Amino acid sequence: MSSLRLARLQEERKSWRKDHPFGFFAKPAKNPDGSMNLQSWTAGIPGKPNTLWADGVYPISITFPDDYPSKPPKVKFPANFYHPNVYPSGTICLSILNEEQDWRPAITLKQIVLGIQELLGSPNPDSPAQEPAWRAFGKDRATYDKKVKEQAQKYIK
Amino acid sequence: MGKDSQLQAVLGKDVLTKVRAAKVLLVGAGGIGCELLKDLVLMGYGEIHVVDLDTIDLSNLNRQFLFRHKDIKKPKASTAVAAVETFNFHNSKLVSYMANIMDTKQFPLSWFDQFNFIFNALDNIAARSYVNKMCLFLKKPSIESGTTGFNGQVTPIFPYQTECYECTVKETPKTYPVCTIRSTPSQPVHCVTWAKNYLFGQLFGEDEETSPTDFGTDNQDEIKNMVSEQNELKELKNLATKDDFFESVIDKIFIKDINKLLALEELWKTRKRPIPLAWDSSVKDKIEAITDSDVARGQDVWPIEKYIFLLMRSIKELQQRLADGETDLEFDKDDEVTLDFVVAATNIRSHMFHIPLKSKFDIKQIAGNIIPAIATTNSIISGFSALASLQMFTPNPREGAKMVYTFQDATRFVSTSSVVESNRKCKSCSIPRGVLKINLSHPEIVLGDVVDALVKGFKYGHDEIALILGKDRLIYDVDFDDNKDKKLADIGFQAGEVLLVNDENDEKATVELYIEAMDSGKIEVPNMELPDAPEKEATEEQEDEKEDDDVLQAISDDAPIIIDEEEEAEEASKKHKLDEIDEHETTTSKKQKTSEGQDHVLIE
Repeated sequence: MSSLRLARLQEERKSWRKDHPFGFFAKPAKNPDGSMNLQSWTAGIPGKPNTLWADGVYPISITFPDDYPSKPPKVKFPANFYHPNVYPSGTICLSILNEEQDWRPAITLKQIVLGIQELLGSPNPDSPAQEPAWRAFGKDRATYDKKVKEQAQKYIK
Repeated sequence: MGKDSQLQAVLGKDVLTKVRAAKVLLVGAGGIGCELLKDLVLMGYGEIHVVDLDTIDLSNLNRQFLFRHKDIKKPKASTAVAAVETFNFHNSKLVSYMANIMDTKQFPLSWFDQFNFIFNALDNIAARSYVNKMCLFLKKPSIESGTTGFNGQVTPIFPYQTECYECTVKETPKTYPVCTIRSTPSQPVHCVTWAKNYLFGQLFGEDEETSPTDFGTDNQDEIKNMVSEQNELKELKNLATKDDFFESVIDKIFIKDINKLLALEELWKTRKRPIPLAWDSSVKDKIEAITDSDVARGQDVWPIEKYIFLLMRSIKELQQRLADGETDLEFDKDDEVTLDFVVAATNIRSHMFHIPLKSKFDIKQIAGNIIPAIATTNSIISGFSALASLQMFTPNPREGAKMVYTFQDATRFVSTSSVVESNRKCKSCSIPRGVLKINLSHPEIVLGDVVDALVKGFKYGHDEIALILGKDRLIYDVDFDDNKDKKLADIGFQAGEVLLVNDENDEKATVELYIEAMDSGKIEVPNMELPDAPEKEATEEQEDEKEDDDVLQAISDDAPIIIDEEEEAEEASKKHKLDEIDEHETTTSKKQKTSEGQDHVLIE
């Protein structure tokens, strides 16, 4: 397939290995034959210190489509992840991951995971993606805080 | 001799002799391929090999003139060859293959090498890219052609000298974010996607998402709420056996769901609020009066009531199918009932969201990804492709080679320009290539041996290299040497695979190697000097840092962002730069318009 995609994925792996933000991890999934699948990665996003999210490292899956980097990767939390901008399926509604909005081929893996970390603590009430977290965030902050903290315990560092 | 003499008068004796001796490959025997094969046979090419994996379909017959009704379901390649045999006046040798050109067993790199050059008459990006890559390995010229409706183009490609197929970015079919499709559509295509991919599937198709068991909370009320949300559509689907299913759909999908969306005030601060479907006695009376003949003309856009009628009719028919034992219905643009459902649901949703309605005819095109294929365009483009091939017989083919493309202008139909130098940033033709020979039947060779051979052969001076096999399998790098002692077969080495070798220290250029089997010895690294890695643009690192900030600021869509003044200025200058790049990209991609997105051409 596209050489551009492969060269880019290789580059992403290399630069991640040489330098990545503290507390994060990201690696391609292992194939049964012992090789690594550059198309499909798993990563962990630590909550920012001094936020409700601080105690957890939240797992995401990153899938790079065949026409990456023209198209953005698909990034998902586990299903039913509690956050106003995450769909029940786990898909993240984030403008830099959206082809029609702010995705640009130059956006790197590092920028994506940092962007998601930022989103955790600063949800965007204008892009609701699930009812419970969105509603609680807007109307019942005590419940919201409680749920987020409970979730952090589930994904504790 | 009589027929030859006319050709000779046109081409000249010298060129004709070369054409008669030439052996060429034609990939694709479809819209362009049929026309081109006819042209090449009449030009007296010595030997023509035709590859096509497809069989003939009824919908091909309006423009693939080598095929007749009796040929339906026969292989395209052999049928086309048989058809041109009837006017094979110059006794060209014709060979056909019903096969995938990307099949490395039937068509290894060495097979491609037998041809003087290659004609591409393909209908999809994947195969084009593949043939392009083979040509790059062999440094073999090719002539690329493609059409979309009234547009078309021919591009001769001289590997590593002129623009290759991958030098320009291809626009691929757009995908739309879930949020736009489910909550905030603004174009007809959003509603089509919603009706076709979401609603139809949810009501009549396969169950996609399995119910999760872990909700990440112990709150029983909340679990109930989540389950009910997930189950609402399923419950609706379960009503599909009931007589009032249509009313239930109207009530849930076109009234209640819209009211729920309306309750999310924030969504409508900057957008026009949708209006739930008016479903009162006056509308119902109007629908009463509609008959089948009122919804027969698919070219017209009708008043909304007619689409409600069409929705009712198609839902009833789909219900009947389920009652008759069919399960997991699928949308098919040629299945009138499923199309009616999508047309109706699309336009009712568009109506609610203040989006212009589209005719059934238009929606069929959008939903079915139909790009019209026009026989005349194919014929013209094939003619130019055949003419371009004559350039290959001049002393210096690259000089004077021209690309031809349609030009929508009142004064002329086609235009030409000189072929463009290859794009230095192209990831396909900016990297060196070679053939890596391995004795694959040797029982003792392990991955570590390949690494050692490459490090020695390419004189890296260190062993920090990364190996990627095939499409996306990373098999070795500095942090990942688990496979070093594995046998090659166990890690997927086989003839025809491509191995990408990257210098992790960025000293030497990345190289791509085609794996060829040999019967003796162990490993033979191609004898070539790897050039230095291309210089990274000096400011790239700094730019990166800046971009991190930019991106972080952009993440929360419309959320207020606090930027201090200094950064704002920086951002402004950055924006400016980006705009320039965007403009540049638009202009270069224009030329490629014709071959893009053909992955989805259904007619071709």
